[in-house]
Amino acid sequence: MTATTPDALATGTQAAWRRWLRRHGWTFGVWILLVVLVAYYSTLIPAFGSFQLASIINNGAPLVFLAAAQAVIVIAGGIDLGVGGMMVLTNVTAARFMEGQPLATTLVIGVIILLLAAAINAGVGWIITTSKVPDIVITLGSLYFFQGLALAVLPNPGGGTSEGFRWLFTGSPRGIGSNPYPAAILISVVILIVAWWIGKTRSGLSLYAVGSDKTAAYLSGIRAARVKIVSYAVGGALAAMAGLALTAIAGRGNPTAVGGNATLNSVAAIVLGGVALTGGIGSVIAVVPAGLILFFLNPILTAMGVDPNRAQIVQGVLIVVVMMVTGLIEWRRRRRV
Amino acid sequence: MTEASQALLSAQGIAKSYGPVVALRSADATVQPGEIHALLGANGAGKSTLVKILSGVITSDAGTTSVHGEPVRLRKPTDARSAGIATVFQDPSLIPDLTLAQNLRISRLSPSDVMPWLERMNLGHIDLELLVSDVPLAVLRLLDLARALAHDPQLLMLDEITAALTTDQAEYVFGVMRAWKEQGRSVLFISHRLGEVLEMCDRATILRNGANVADFDLAGVDEAQLVTAMLGEDLVKELSEEAAAESTPTAEAAVAAVSFDTPVVLELKDVRLRDKVNGVSFQLRQGEILGLTALEGQGQDELFQLLSGDHRPSSGELLVDGRPMNARSPYDAIRKGLVLVPADRQQALLPQRSVRVNLSTPLYNRASKWFTLAGDETERVDRAVDRLDIDVRAGSQVQRLSGGNQQKVTIGRWLASGFGTLLCFDPTRGIDIQTKAQIYDLLRELAADGSSIFLYTSELREIPLVCDRVLVMYNGRIVHEQDAKTATEEVMLTSAHGLEEART
Repeated sequence: MTATTPDALATGTQAAWRRWLRRHGWTFGVWILLVVLVAYYSTLIPAFGSFQLASIINNGAPLVFLAAAQAVIVIAGGIDLGVGGMMVLTNVTAARFMEGQPLATTLVIGVIILLLAAAINAGVGWIITTSKVPDIVITLGSLYFFQGLALAVLPNPGGGTSEGFRWLFTGSPRGIGSNPYPAAILISVVILIVAWWIGKTRSGLSLYAVGSDKTAAYLSGIRAARVKIVSYAVGGALAAMAGLALTAIAGRGNPTAVGGNATLNSVAAIVLGGVALTGGIGSVIAVVPAGLILFFLNPILTAMGVDPNRAQIVQGVLIVVVMMVTGLIEWRRRRRV
Repeated sequence: MTEASQALLSAQGIAKSYGPVVALRSADATVQPGEIHALLGANGAGKSTLVKILSGVITSDAGTTSVHGEPVRLRKPTDARSAGIATVFQDPSLIPDLTLAQNLRISRLSPSDVMPWLERMNLGHIDLELLVSDVPLAVLRLLDLARALAHDPQLLMLDEITAALTTDQAEYVFGVMRAWKEQGRSVLFISHRLGEVLEMCDRATILRNGANVADFDLAGVDEAQLVTAMLGEDLVKELSEEAAAESTPTAEAAVAAVSFDTPVVLELKDVRLRDKVNGVSFQLRQGEILGLTALEGQGQDELFQLLSGDHRPSSGELLVDGRPMNARSPYDAIRKGLVLVPADRQQALLPQRSVRVNLSTPLYNRASKWFTLAGDETERVDRAVDRLDIDVRAGSQVQRLSGGNQQKVTIGRWLASGFGTLLCFDPTRGIDIQTKAQIYDLLRELAADGSSIFLYTSELREIPLVCDRVLVMYNGRIVHEQDAKTATEEVMLTSAHGLEEART
């Protein structure tokens, strides 16, 4: 009966395990790396406790959200240099309008900012699909545009937000404390919703389809332009989450923050998280530990006594080494086939 | 009229051009309910273009399509689907980076929709959590078929579905087609395997040069009659006229010059590459133009990749001037004198640079002292331009040249640098007839000057015009060899279909 069904196609525990490892191995590996780094960090400093843990999660949150934003867009075959600018813009907008408002009002303002950011970035996606100008060019423009707009919204660092809003992102009304749970829960909820959408629903899977093989996606009845615009919209909203997190952490807005740096960090995080820059491959869940690791590298190196100015060298080497190792694994796998 | 209104699918006067290249002139096709209908034609007759138009992948320039007498507009794939047409394309249309289950999801299907069909094709055990890129091509074709069937179409279009399948897998497909027919649904079937066509199909529409030339009942028809219908009865006359118009005085002399005394410049001994090239052996002599023809996907692409140094053979010997080639890259092959003119000119040219820069690119390999060129490159390029008769009015950017002139530049690059054997892969694809004739002349002149040329062409009529000898490839093997002068299209097409030893 199974004459034409090759063994490789059949279900089997060993085959299933190997397949799981191949598909989710990267995600698994990055989480392990994070745990190892945290364990190592705890041996470096005398008093490792919930304060340090909260500090990592709270302060790593903006990069995690930004990396998720970049991941969604890159999976669909694009790249958004403007996410950093969007983060700065939403940070200052939130700080300006939330200042002196009660929690309920700040939450409403937060939601409005998320929706506006999605709409604005959808516009960026629309410009890319209709003009056919490469993503990298248009979004370089949107980066400067958002950064400039941020200065128009709030010319100098300032503004504020409600204590409840700060607690939501940091577990403390003052933005600093030993409670890692609210931030961890917030990150988990947002990322799991995005992961469910992109991995289980038709509209989410369309992002992978378009990023993987545009022709096959078209033949499957997917409208590539619309999918791309959706990816930019979701990316915009996630970048706004990063901006809101920043507002909660600092308790104010900073229009002089360099969005370009944040963008580059988001790209580094998704590369470390196993998202292929060519599109179609990657997991939103894996960019969470990747973002945290990138953020966390600095305190570790400081604790190790490395000059903070040299930390970037380590970051750079880490990314290149990780990419080379995976390139090697992929090459060996191909050769065996 | 009544027949047309009863027809399941009726396409009238479908035309499509890509720039100056006409893919479909005016094609009609009518498929009745409960019928398996074959769409036949030689390479480039327009079969795939017609399928793409009927499935909404590309839009036609002219013509009307109706389903059950109702006019339909097919502007995107979903239009065809809602009109009741589902297609299995020549290339798999599954997303490689997603699992099978996820692929079903994006086509708005659930596993239970396709499972009954997969079970019929003995794939009931398949794990839908597999990544598409891990599934063999043959299985993907069957999955594509199951997916198309799950949309429950009135008309199922199968473009070369059996090409990648084993015999038993093909039998499953035929079983499904029969079942589909019994339900009163229809199938439009495209295949190079004429035996299958005669076994499975009720009627056939034959396309030639972008127009349908015949539509007939297949009962009592044999393979030879199909081949004749694909070629056309007026062909012999047409051919001799063209030969008279296109052949040049040098051609005669050159053909005469090749004899068995001339040295062998390229020899293949039982060369294999995976399952694509299955033991190819031949010799190419100095000053000879050796033609190769085949239907699409018979291993000719891979053979040329081997010869041009892009791939190394899995086994077998590849000798250049009697010595093993051992090329690890095209650079090595070029140094040994084997140079390629690909069908796709974009692969060979720097489209935004001038004709002169393009002509001198192969000379960069000769860069001598202090990174300057050898010194005579201006001269060499001038000679190539003269010889090719390239229209250099748009010479500042090669992309502004016509396709024919671009192809001349790709050949001219090698003229400027010098070469031993010219490998031409379908060099006249999509080129106007006049430039084609110029390229033929050029190839003949080169051969007369002592160069050897290995020419693959999908246009059978080119063979007697240009070549000295012709090889026909089928399923990774050379199945026929003949003096090109006496090779008729009928013989070549028959052996290209892998049919019994051609009648000569």
